[in-house]
Amino acid sequence: MPGPQTLVFLLIGASILLILAVVIRPSITASREGKIVAFIALFIVPIVTMGVGASEHMERSEQTQFCLSCHIMEPYGRSLYVDDPAYIPAAHFQNHRVPADKACYTCHTDYAMFGTIRAKVEGLHHVYVYWFGTPMHPIQLYHPYNNRECLHCHSGARSFEESPTHTAMMSDLKSNKLSCTTSGCHDTFHPVDKLGQVKFWKPTK
Amino acid sequence: MILRTLRISGILLIGGLVVEALSLCWNNAFSFMSFAVVGGLFFASGMLLFLYSLVSNND
Repeated sequence: MPGPQTLVFLLIGASILLILAVVIRPSITASREGKIVAFIALFIVPIVTMGVGASEHMERSEQTQFCLSCHIMEPYGRSLYVDDPAYIPAAHFQNHRVPADKACYTCHTDYAMFGTIRAKVEGLHHVYVYWFGTPMHPIQLYHPYNNRECLHCHSGARSFEESPTHTAMMSDLKSNKLSCTTSGCHDTFHPVDKLGQVKFWKPTK
Repeated sequence: MILRTLRISGILLIGGLVVEALSLCWNNAFSFMSFAVVGGLFFASGMLLFLYSLVSNND
């Protein structure tokens, strides 16, 4: 069974052939059937192919490799290899608490209704600013980090639910009144300004 | 005239498809931007030209 990317390439190839048929013999549009073929080739097929391509690109944009392809994000990618479990992103990435190939997206998407769409729109904004604007320095989140993103995975997990510290403040954590990340408990993230002073973990393969 | 417009429309659309295929060979922000901006322009102009050829065809 060919993979999704192969199918997209096959679709593009078939679309090109169909369009070529109209380009080489546009006179086919003299007949009614020819007009239908031209409409399919020059309107319907491009919309479908463009949609499939856009969907594939959107899927790929969730990958860590994609996020780190912008030069400005390189230090954040390196910070995932910091050899210190106190750093939340590094500990999550190195221990596969998040999928390594979707590390950025897993923590920085929005797990609310339409959250994926919102995350994609914000991602488009990142790309726009990177190419056509001036990225902020240092990079800041658009909104304060919502506990919902942590609880998406941790809520219901035994180690989280049975921790006396968490139990004591569970309602505040779940209502986002008390932030996981800024209340002094889990507040060490990407040490991009200290990368020259920290040790790095080297994966065995 | 209409046949020429159809040809140009088809060539623009093929250009868009080639850009789309090339952009899918890499996974980075540049390939995404190429697809969205360059490919999008080819697609939009090709399809608009085709639609224009429909409404301007009085034969």
